Amino acid sequence: MDRLTRTLSSVFTYAFLGIMAFLSIFPFIWMILGATNNSNDIITGKIGIGSALIDNIRAFAAAVDVPLVFWNSIKIALISTALTLIVASLAGYGFEVFRSKYRERVYNGILLTLMVPFAALMIPLFIMMGKLGLIDTHWAVILPTIGSAFVIFYFRQSTKAFPSELRDAARVDGLKEWQIFLLIYVPVMRSTYAAAFIIVFMASWNNYLWPLIVLQSNEMKTITLVVSSLASAYYPDFGAVMVSAILATLPTLLVFFVMQRQFVQGMTGSIK
Amino acid sequence: MATSELSLKSVRKTFGALEVIKGVDLEIEKGEFTVFVGPSGCGKSTLLRMIAGLEDISSGDLMISGERMNETDPSKRGIAMVFQSYALYPHLTVRQNMGFALRFAGVPKAEIEKQVMDAARILELEKLLDRKPKALSGGQRQRVAIGRAIVRHPKVFLFDEPLSNLDAELRVHMRVEIAKLHKKLGATVVYVTHDQVEAMTLADKIVVLRDGRIEQVGSPLKLYSDPDNRFVAGFIGSPKMNFLPATAVTNNGQPAIRLDASGIVLPAGHLATKLADGTRLVAGLRPEIFKDGGDSSLLLDIEMVEHLGSETLVHARSGETLVTVKYGGIRPMKDGETVRAEFDAASVLCFGADDQRIR
Repeated sequence: MDRLTRTLSSVFTYAFLGIMAFLSIFPFIWMILGATNNSNDIITGKIGIGSALIDNIRAFAAAVDVPLVFWNSIKIALISTALTLIVASLAGYGFEVFRSKYRERVYNGILLTLMVPFAALMIPLFIMMGKLGLIDTHWAVILPTIGSAFVIFYFRQSTKAFPSELRDAARVDGLKEWQIFLLIYVPVMRSTYAAAFIIVFMASWNNYLWPLIVLQSNEMKTITLVVSSLASAYYPDFGAVMVSAILATLPTLLVFFVMQRQFVQGMTGSIK
Repeated sequence: MATSELSLKSVRKTFGALEVIKGVDLEIEKGEFTVFVGPSGCGKSTLLRMIAGLEDISSGDLMISGERMNETDPSKRGIAMVFQSYALYPHLTVRQNMGFALRFAGVPKAEIEKQVMDAARILELEKLLDRKPKALSGGQRQRVAIGRAIVRHPKVFLFDEPLSNLDAELRVHMRVEIAKLHKKLGATVVYVTHDQVEAMTLADKIVVLRDGRIEQVGSPLKLYSDPDNRFVAGFIGSPKMNFLPATAVTNNGQPAIRLDASGIVLPAGHLATKLADGTRLVAGLRPEIFKDGGDSSLLLDIEMVEHLGSETLVHARSGETLVTVKYGGIRPMKDGETVRAEFDAASVLCFGADDQRIR
């Protein structure tokens, strides 16, 4: 009876995991297969390898200035990620390490901002960017992402594992506070930085709504905007859309696979 | 006038309204190995951190080599510290860890290398210099931490429970190593521990702390044989001293004390203090004063016997009071037996109702 229960339970578990895995992977498979088929085949639901890959790539390249769009996306994602990591790690470290009467109140205030939906911020942000003269510039996309409450929270939580004795040892060794941060904290917490890099880079790369609002000219547009504009054309070429979707997905996949080990370490605790 | 290497004058530490160090006065001579002991939360680590400069001193003076150091940066106090968790920088090699402080003091590279090699030789770390801390055992990490302190040639070494993360065997080994090192370097050491065996074996001078105050300062044997109060008597010595409620009486015209639980009267002629009859006292009997052929004895109901081979520990009751007796060697005693444990009355210490020693 016990054995039967165990077998049934594992059958159920594997079936559930199998369905979930299929649901997760299917869009990728469909995207890759779709890139080899023409628009009609995709619309009629053909699942199989076609012969239109080269035509789709040509169509995509003809419709879009690929290097410029990629450059825009990469530039925004990298600058935004770098600035977010700098600000959030300094804030997370500061909140955890330095004592102050108002520390928890300020911190809770920052966490509360996580509850404000982006839709409520869009218009005020747009007005702010307008007043700063930043509409239709990449800074308008980058600046609002820098003070991320979630990443500050993540760094503060990770800093709890940073031994206070290391900081004491560094003080006895003659390091100033900024040297302790740069020469001890940053290298010791590199897995945390790697995990945060992946999270922030992916979020920035996939960011759609805000760039759609503030980036207006074609020369400024990012890959997500281009995929969307291709898909929303009057007669969309779904083959080209699939090619653009693959290209839009590749960098985040690449970043994740290259930094996978550090990501896992960072999520499970980076001090060994 | 010769000054102490380290001197604390009315040193206090407060966190808001909470006073954790309540006026400490202490002189530590050059080359002296001083150990701070006390129960958890007594302020020993805080006091060490105040000497190191890692905690501010709320009031009082800290002098190192005659110079006031209250506001001096930790790196400029002439101290080096070894931490409980070793606090080695995990991203640096042993060599880099040991030379780190010198690098920041602007010492030339060749000189750093020489200092690191010298320390590595003393601590037998030469083969480990290019390893990272995670590739070292606990004992090796501890030696690197000590090496990192040695290269700075400090006036005072500060150790904050350095052996408590090691297993029992390694702890004994490292204890001997630290004692040897102290002899070799002749350095002034302040060492914090809650392990009284470490304190007894390493120290030239033990400082017993309780609740932010010094209870007694003295050599290990002085504290063991001549404690000032019941707290020190109970804290130093393992197993703990037995405390039995007693009353001052006169027996055949001579001063004596009567143990309340058993009614046994012990002569108290060795006490200089004249006690009025009926004075409430506490008699302190170390477990190791019990021996065959003593001039007094206690009737004990044995609850448990621990046969350790080299010694036999007997946990028994005298009336309501639990008493521990330590005999050398093997004793054929069993749980549930009643035995007469003999001792010399002159070895019994007396404490007043205020827990202070009556001499």
